Parts: sequence; structure tokens; C-alpha cells
Amino acid sequence: MRELFPAKQVVGFIASLVLTVIALLVYFIDMSFQLGMIILLLTAFTQAGLQLVVFMHAGESPDSDSIYVNTYYGIFIALAIVFGSLLAMVWGY
Amino acid sequence: MNIDHSKPLEYSTETNDLNIIGFWVFIGAEIALFATLFAAYFILEGRVADGPSGGHLFVISTLMIQTFVLLTSSFTIGLAVNAMRLGRKGATIGFFIITLILGLGFVGVEIYEFYEYVHEGLTLQTSAFSAALFTLLGTHGAHVSFGLFWGIAIIIQLAKRGFTPRTANKTFIFSLYWHFLDVVWIFIFSFVYLKGMM
Repeated sequence: MRELFPAKQVVGFIASLVLTVIALLVYFIDMSFQLGMIILLLTAFTQAGLQLVVFMHAGESPDSDSIYVNTYYGIFIALAIVFGSLLAMVWGY
Repeated sequence: MNIDHSKPLEYSTETNDLNIIGFWVFIGAEIALFATLFAAYFILEGRVADGPSGGHLFVISTLMIQTFVLLTSSFTIGLAVNAMRLGRKGATIGFFIITLILGLGFVGVEIYEFYEYVHEGLTLQTSAFSAALFTLLGTHGAHVSFGLFWGIAIIIQLAKRGFTPRTANKTFIFSLYWHFLDVVWIFIFSFVYLKGMM
């Protein structure tokens, strides 16, 4: 039975729950918008990294270098799209 | 077919390796897809016209249920892959079924939530905000719903054929897909719901 619940994944799951609770503090505690956004950015990206490494086994494939490069490129494109759009359309530069 | 027994079954042939890296390329494209939907949402979230805003609509209880259910399902599909590597077919299928039941629960709560939104006067046509919101949430929900059918098909294959390089490969790739949907949800949870309610 024990081998069905490896420590790495159990710890990963608990960490993801803790990160979720920290993110929820933004709602339950009165704080400034800036501080809230900083907390959310930190918890969301940590959570994403956790899923990628612990659960998606990104590092153990024989092609892990290609997988990481592809994923980093995807993340770069995502950030460029989101912040580029915000810069042009919302923040008004 | 050349099977390398020193590797986990899902990586044991060259085709399997290529399938896995191919799926990662697909995930890269999915990241870009969701990025465009997030960008559209962030631009339009203030344009609520005469309809309700996110802060008015979002409910913390359903959000917490959805997040907990999806995080748990991401954990159980991870356990299914672990059980597969131990060669435990029953446990793999069991964890797989739990994952899909949790996924079904998530979709159920999301449908209930959409129903409530429509009752509060927020439909796809209400405002730029509502169109962007439903497109983003709906695209994610459609991915989860598709995953339910895909998952059922893989469970049937596992039950019929047992662990072969092909079924192991499919199971592993499904787990990648499911974890990825969890990652997308984390961003929806943080930057649509919590940001909207802050």
C-alpha cells in the first residue's frame, strides 16, 4: 500500500494545497491590490513549477532538455502575449 | 518494435519517446492558446456594460470546491502513473477512475456556476467582460470534458490489454494533459477569480 503513495507526490500535493491556502488569503485578509497581486503571482508560478517538475516528470525523460526549452519558449510567448497586450491596450503607453 | 526494458514502459520504444515529446510541443501550443484568452480577458474585464462585474458574481465556496477537486484529481492521476510503474494494474485503473470522477465533479460545479451566472443576468452576449470570461472558462471546461471521454477510452484499453508500451504511453500522456489543465486552472483561480474578488 505504501509504495502507491510515494513521498515526493504526497509532499507535492500538500505543497499545492498550502499554496492554494496562501493564495486564498488574498480574499480573506484585507490587503492592498499590489500586495495581493504579488502574492498571487508568486503562488501561481510556484504552483505551476511544482506541477511541471513533481507531477509531469519533466526532468526524467531522455529528451528533458528539449522539453524544458519548449516549455520555457511557451511561457515566454504567453508572457509576451499577456503583458504586451496589457501594455498596448490597458496601461496606455 | 524495439523495447528497452531498462526504461519505464511509457518510454520503452522510440515511438513512445517521440509521442511524449510531441505531446509537450502540443502543450507549448496550448500555453499560447490560453495566453491569448487570458490577454483578451485582462483587457476586457472592466467592460461590464449594464451587466454584473466579476467581483459581484464570483462566489468563494464554489471556487474552493473546484480548486480542491481539480488539485486532488491532479494528485490521483500522478498516483496512477506511479502505480503503473510498479506494474499494479488494479491500482492504476482505480486511481484513474477516481481522477475522472473528480473531473466530472469539477465540470458539474462549473456548469452549476454558469447556470447561476445566467440567472444573475450574465450571458455570453451581456458585455465584453462576459464574453471574455465565458470563452476563457469554457475553453478550460471543454478541455476537462474532452479529457473525461479520452480517459474513459484509455481505462477500457488498460482493462482489456493490460500494460503494453502503447497503453502505458497513452496513460502517461493523459497524465501530462491532466496536470496541464490543473496548471491552467491555477491561473484562472488566481487571476480571474481571486483578482476579481480582491
